[in-house]
Amino acid sequence: MRETWFLFRHFWQADVRSKHGVAGLVLFAVSTVYAAYQVVRGRPDADTWNAMAWIILLFTAFNGVSRTLEEDRSEVLAYLRTTVQPVHYMLARTLHNVVILSGLSCLVMVFAGLLLGWSDLGGARLWGFVGAMVLTAVALGTTLTLLALIAARAGAGFGMTAVLGLPLVLPIVLVATTLGSELLSGVLVADTWHNFAFLGALSAGSGVFGAVLFPYLWRAS
Amino acid sequence: MNQAMHRTSPAIWAVRIGGLLLLTYTLVMTFGVPLGPGIEDVTVQRTALTDEGASFAVDVAGYGTHFTTSAPRVFLKRGDHIVHATAVTAQDDGHLTCRIDLPLQVPSRSFDVFVNGAKDGTISFANGFFAEGLEVKEGISLSPDGEALGDLEDADLGFHFPFQPNIMESIRNLMLHVPMWFTMFLLMGISFAQSIKTLRVGGNMDRDHRAVSAVKVGLWFGVLGLLTGSLWARFTWGAWWVDDPQLNGAFVTVMVYAGYLVLRSSVTDPKLRSRLSAVYNLFGFCLLVVLLMVLPRFTESLHPGKGGNPAFSSYDLDSALRAAFYPAVLGWMILGTWMYALQLRMERSRARIAEAQLMRSNMPLALLFVTPASTSSLEAVFTASGKMPVVVGVAVIIFLGLGLWWILAARELRRLSRQESSLNGTSPS
Repeated sequence: MRETWFLFRHFWQADVRSKHGVAGLVLFAVSTVYAAYQVVRGRPDADTWNAMAWIILLFTAFNGVSRTLEEDRSEVLAYLRTTVQPVHYMLARTLHNVVILSGLSCLVMVFAGLLLGWSDLGGARLWGFVGAMVLTAVALGTTLTLLALIAARAGAGFGMTAVLGLPLVLPIVLVATTLGSELLSGVLVADTWHNFAFLGALSAGSGVFGAVLFPYLWRAS
Repeated sequence: MNQAMHRTSPAIWAVRIGGLLLLTYTLVMTFGVPLGPGIEDVTVQRTALTDEGASFAVDVAGYGTHFTTSAPRVFLKRGDHIVHATAVTAQDDGHLTCRIDLPLQVPSRSFDVFVNGAKDGTISFANGFFAEGLEVKEGISLSPDGEALGDLEDADLGFHFPFQPNIMESIRNLMLHVPMWFTMFLLMGISFAQSIKTLRVGGNMDRDHRAVSAVKVGLWFGVLGLLTGSLWARFTWGAWWVDDPQLNGAFVTVMVYAGYLVLRSSVTDPKLRSRLSAVYNLFGFCLLVVLLMVLPRFTESLHPGKGGNPAFSSYDLDSALRAAFYPAVLGWMILGTWMYALQLRMERSRARIAEAQLMRSNMPLALLFVTPASTSSLEAVFTASGKMPVVVGVAVIIFLGLGLWWILAARELRRLSRQESSLNGTSPS
C-alpha cells in the first residue's frame, strides 16, 4: 500500500514538474468544449447537450490515458522492473489516471456550463450529473489504463488504445448517457441510483481485472 | 515437429460426419416443415353508427389457413368479454369477412380477434380490433353467457412450426441465425481457456495458436450472425440496424475481437504478441460477459427471447421448434470446431514457415457486405409468401460466408503445405 502511494505521488510530482503533460490535457478538454460550442452556436436542447457532454468526456478520457509518461521510456521501465512490484505499479497508474480524469471531467462540466449552459439541470440534479460525470471518468480510467498499457507495450499509441478501448467502453457510455438523459429529463438522483451503482461496480471490477492481468505485461520479454 | 497431431483420429471423424448429418437434418427441417396457420392482418371499417350501436366490417387475412373448408367462426375477446361475429364469409382459404355489432358503450375499445375452425383450430391476432367512435365505460358486460365458447374445434394439423405474427416464416431463422452466435460463443470460450493457458507458467506458443484460431473462426461466425440478423431485422423491424441492447452487445463483441486481431497484427515479436493478446483477450472476455449479462437487464429489448418477445419461453418454442433447434445448434458447433481445427493447422504451419524463413505471412480477412438496393422492390420481394425469402436470404448469406471460408482455407492450406515442403524438403501430411 505504501509502495502504491509512493508511486502515485511520484507520477504526480513528475506531472507537476513537467507541466506540459497536464496542461496539454486541459487545453485539449477546453478546446473540445469550445469546438462543441462553435458547432451549436448557443444553448443546445437537452438531448444534444447530453450527447455533447459525454462525447467530450470520452475524447478527453482517451486522450488522458494514452499520454506517454516519463516512466514509459524503456530505460526507466528497466529500472522500475527491478525495484517495483507490478501490482503496485498498476494500482498507482490507475489511481493516477482516475484522479486526472476526474479532475478533467469537473473541468469539462464547468467549462461546458460557461459556454453551453447547464441545460435543464439545476440544484441536486446538477450535482448528480457532476457525480455521474466523475464516476464515469473513474470507470473509463480503470478500464482504459490496462488497454493503454497494452497499446504502449505493443509500440502503438493513441490509435491502438482507441481500437482496443472503444468497443469495451461502449457499454459504460451507454449507461452514462442513459443516466444523463434521465437526470436531464427530471428524474431524481435517488431514483436512478442503480446506474451509479453499476458504474461503481464496473470501475471496481475492471480495476481488479487490471491488477490481476498487468503482471503478465510487466515481464521484460 | 508434430506430424502426428495432424492425423485426425477416427472418433473425431465420426463426430464430424455426425455434425454434417445433423446439419443436413437441420436444413431439411428448416425448409421442409410447414408453418402453422395464423392471422396475418385484420382490417376494421365502421359501416354504421346509430343510437343503438355501431356495426363494423371486419376483414381477416389468414396465412396458411383453410377458411373455405373449415367453417370458421370469429369472435372478439377482451378479458371476460366475448363478442361473436355474424355473417362470416370465407372469400378464399386465406381471406374472410364478417360483421361485428357493438353497443355504444363498451368496456374497452380494443379487442383480440380469434378465429376458430375445424382444421386450423383457434388462431388469434392480439389487439386486432379497434372500435372507433365508441365510448368506454366501466362495468358494462358484453357477454353474460360465458358458456358459448365451450365447443371450440381442435386443430387438426401435422408437424408444423408455430405461427407468430410479423415473424411468420422467418421463425425458421432460429435454426440458422441463432446458432451462429452459439457457435461464436463456444469458440470465444475456447479462446479464453487457451489464453489463460498461454499466461500460465509453462504456456507455449501452441496455446497462442489455438487462441487466435478460435477467435478467427468465431469472428467469421459473428460477422455472419450480424449480416443474417441485419437482413432479418430489415423485414421485421423495418431497418437494417436498430438501437437495441441485444444488437449493441453483438456489435461490441465483434468489435472487441476485431480489435484483438488488430492488436496482434501490430506486434511482430511472437512471444510478446502472445502475451499482450492473451491479456487483452481475458480482459475483453470478462468485461463482455459482465456487460452482456448486466446491461440488457437495464433496458427493454425488441429482440426475440428478450423482454417478453417470442422465442425461448415454453409457449413459443414448441416441440417442433425444439426438435429442429437443438440438433441445429449441435451441428453448427461441430462445424465450427472443425473449422477451428483447420485454422489451427494453418496457424501452426504459418508459425513453422515463419520460423524457417523468419518472415510472417498473413491471410487476408475477406468480409461480406450486403449492398443496399432500392428498398421498395426489396420490400415486395422479401415480404412475399410469409417472409420466406428472408429465410432463404439468411441461408444464402451463411452458405456463401462459410463457403468462402472453406475455399480460402483450402487454398491457404495448399499454399502453406507447398511452401513448407519446398522449405525443408519434407512433406507435411
